[in-house]
Amino acid sequence: MFVYLIAFAFLPLQLPAIAETKAAQNQQIPHQAQRPSANKILLRISAIPDQNPEKLNRLYGLLSDELQEKLGVQVKYIPVIDYSAAVTGFRNGDLDLVWFGGLTGVQARLQTPGAKVLAQRDVDAAFHSIFIGNVNSFKGIKPIRGFNDLQQFKGKRFTFGSESSTSGRLMPQYFLSKGGVKNSDFAGGAPGFSGSHDATIALVQSGAYEAGAVNEQVWQSNLKKGTVDRTQVLALWRTPPYPDYHWIAQGDLDKRFGIGFTKKLQKALISLRPSNQQQQQILELFGARQFVVAPASQYGEIESVGRKLGKIR
Amino acid sequence: MQAKFAPVFGLLLPALVFLPLLAFMPFEIHGGGWGLIANFFGAALRPSLTPSLLATAFSGIAITLAVALWSWLLSLLIGIAAGLLSAPTVSQAFFGCRWPADLLRRVLALPRSLHELLWGLILLQGLGLQPVVAVIAIAIPYGALVARVVCDQLESLPQEPFRALRVAGVPSPAALLTALGPSLLPGVLSYGGYRLECALRSATLLGVFGLGGVGADLRLSLQSLQFHEAWTSLWALALLMFLLEQGIALLRRRWWQPGAVVGQRGRELLLLFVLLLLLLFPAAQLLDLQWQVLLGPWHWPMDQQIFQWQAWQQPWPKLVGSTLLLTVIAALAAFAAAPLLLLLFSPWALMQPLLRGLGLIARLLPPPLTALLLLFVFKPGLLPAALALAFHNAGILGRLFLEGLEAQDPRPEQALLVAGVSSRKALLMARFNGLAAGYLAYGAYRADVILRETVVVGLVGAGGLGVVLLEALSSFAWADVLPVLVVYALLTLIGEELATRYRSFLLHKHPQKEGGAPTRLQLLAKPMLERA
Repeated sequence: MFVYLIAFAFLPLQLPAIAETKAAQNQQIPHQAQRPSANKILLRISAIPDQNPEKLNRLYGLLSDELQEKLGVQVKYIPVIDYSAAVTGFRNGDLDLVWFGGLTGVQARLQTPGAKVLAQRDVDAAFHSIFIGNVNSFKGIKPIRGFNDLQQFKGKRFTFGSESSTSGRLMPQYFLSKGGVKNSDFAGGAPGFSGSHDATIALVQSGAYEAGAVNEQVWQSNLKKGTVDRTQVLALWRTPPYPDYHWIAQGDLDKRFGIGFTKKLQKALISLRPSNQQQQQILELFGARQFVVAPASQYGEIESVGRKLGKIR
Repeated sequence: MQAKFAPVFGLLLPALVFLPLLAFMPFEIHGGGWGLIANFFGAALRPSLTPSLLATAFSGIAITLAVALWSWLLSLLIGIAAGLLSAPTVSQAFFGCRWPADLLRRVLALPRSLHELLWGLILLQGLGLQPVVAVIAIAIPYGALVARVVCDQLESLPQEPFRALRVAGVPSPAALLTALGPSLLPGVLSYGGYRLECALRSATLLGVFGLGGVGADLRLSLQSLQFHEAWTSLWALALLMFLLEQGIALLRRRWWQPGAVVGQRGRELLLLFVLLLLLLFPAAQLLDLQWQVLLGPWHWPMDQQIFQWQAWQQPWPKLVGSTLLLTVIAALAAFAAAPLLLLLFSPWALMQPLLRGLGLIARLLPPPLTALLLLFVFKPGLLPAALALAFHNAGILGRLFLEGLEAQDPRPEQALLVAGVSSRKALLMARFNGLAAGYLAYGAYRADVILRETVVVGLVGAGGLGVVLLEALSSFAWADVLPVLVVYALLTLIGEELATRYRSFLLHKHPQKEGGAPTRLQLLAKPMLERA
């Protein structure tokens, strides 16, 4: 009995390999190693999970179709539910083109030699975070005009979003530190990490945390949707601008998809226009008017802040 | 009579932990999110039924089940092989000495000492976004756990038949198989079924941390407060867990009922195995399992010094202290919940199914998600983290407790009832008393598991090692990750040793009756090998 069990257990070890060989033969593509990173025909795109999954699936489904049409290669969206998993997947060559945040993008490029910044949205060169607070704790707050006024957050229960979020953690923590507020100054000796911008809003609105920091775009879209109870939660401060989200591609795309592919890909992204109906849908879901070419040097600021706060080693 | 009461006190004494918990609770409630909680439970009756979401929920469940099946099977294979090899009897028979077995048993404590989530995060670094990561991450610690139980089982069997066969000149492998195989089977089968339930829970939890499946759907819809969507996944998961648990219980009862037809069990067992194997292929297809990546190049991040002296200088006493405090509170509360609730509500017949339902929800909600829900009404800190862990584990302990109760001889309780003793007292004196030692011993083992699990509730700001670990991982600071893993491993190794000693002490004092199908409590409560 046991022999069968063992034999069966390892059978599938062969199966995917067989299936893959067949697929490769059908498409007349030489079959290399089994590792998907060696896949020559499929462009795998992904994104950090900063929105609800349904929206991500819709958005990247549309974008995949668009890119497939423009580039003539097969495009597949691979959902990832953790910020650092997206970085790891990119480093290991499981993902070809990823929509990263400022911090995760820098982390990914540092760990992946040759990776290139392709584009950002028109809003990303000067992105903002919003500090929000629960009404019961911040009703009579002195308006925040400069970094020093951030001292009012000392001793409060404060939450960031995900540990690796640029707008929900890195830059807010940096601005707080400029105002002399350390992470250990919050109630309980440490901030919370809600995991996402939506969760931060809900937790501050409920009062679990007295204050928090969120992505301005997510805050605005929640206001528009009416999911924020304005009698419970206040917008306290809009941070100074900093560069955030951007597209990063692997450095070997030209080698795998043909010379000039990276340029073509970049062009496909920055030529999305609201005048085309499908493209307009994509841009709207991204919350952008259009994508623009982004210089990698712009993210030097994020890198130095990341190093200061220990998020980049 | 006084002496006989003692174990029951052991059973109910941990309930005292609820006094400080309840006393502090009013100060820890902010109450701002009752509306959200109401929305959450309100949404239970109206899960989202849009076709696209149902499809997502179904595929999420299928992925989780596939991960659970594969990791379970692998862990059984690893566990049975390693368990046999680490049994001194086997080692003695094959090699003529027992030190290889002793050595292997100690080595196996290491993979056990890390939670499957940590294995997942480590393997993710080396292998990338591969479905096989989730399977292996569960199979490693589970395999080591199964090995321990198999080995303990084997060593606690009477050795005389085996020795007799050996003396009669039968070669060792045949003698082992004939003398010990049949008596080992019931225990291994019963425990194996239980491991499948555990694997399903672990597969769900790993999803919460990014390895796909229903856990991922649940986390994302809860975090973005889409409760109707969350309940679609929750109901689907509840149905699956209910069917699985009931199916396994049914088989247990069927196979060990007195007077079962000879050979029936064997045939059904064979049929079940064939069915499972047939399921494994679609499961592998669905997950797109690629075992060959295990043999391929591993992509460890090489750009950093993995050992940095300053990374080891953390405020360890504080970190370890808060981790242990969290463990103790959660373990005591989880342990005491089932007996206490049963005792309080035993006179009402309706309460039993209600408690069972509550237990099912407790088991299926991964603790980090419970913690997130608790934050809607509690201030962040130790309390919601402890409650989340306690709730989940109370569901697991409660199920084993009920199962143990039902396996008890009903006659003492009936005698007491006839003699006019109140139903609560009769339950306490008869059934609880018979079960107490085994349940206590299992509780000690569960405390060990809870210690490992503290890592998953780091997000609610409970402090402790989990927070440091998640922060280090998100900074890709491997030099910081290493010391935390080492400290975690050390803590669980010490915990395991203490739990083992406590269990052998308990079971020596109150020997368990054997016979019939071993309940899981008896199985799991078995003492580890006496240290030679």
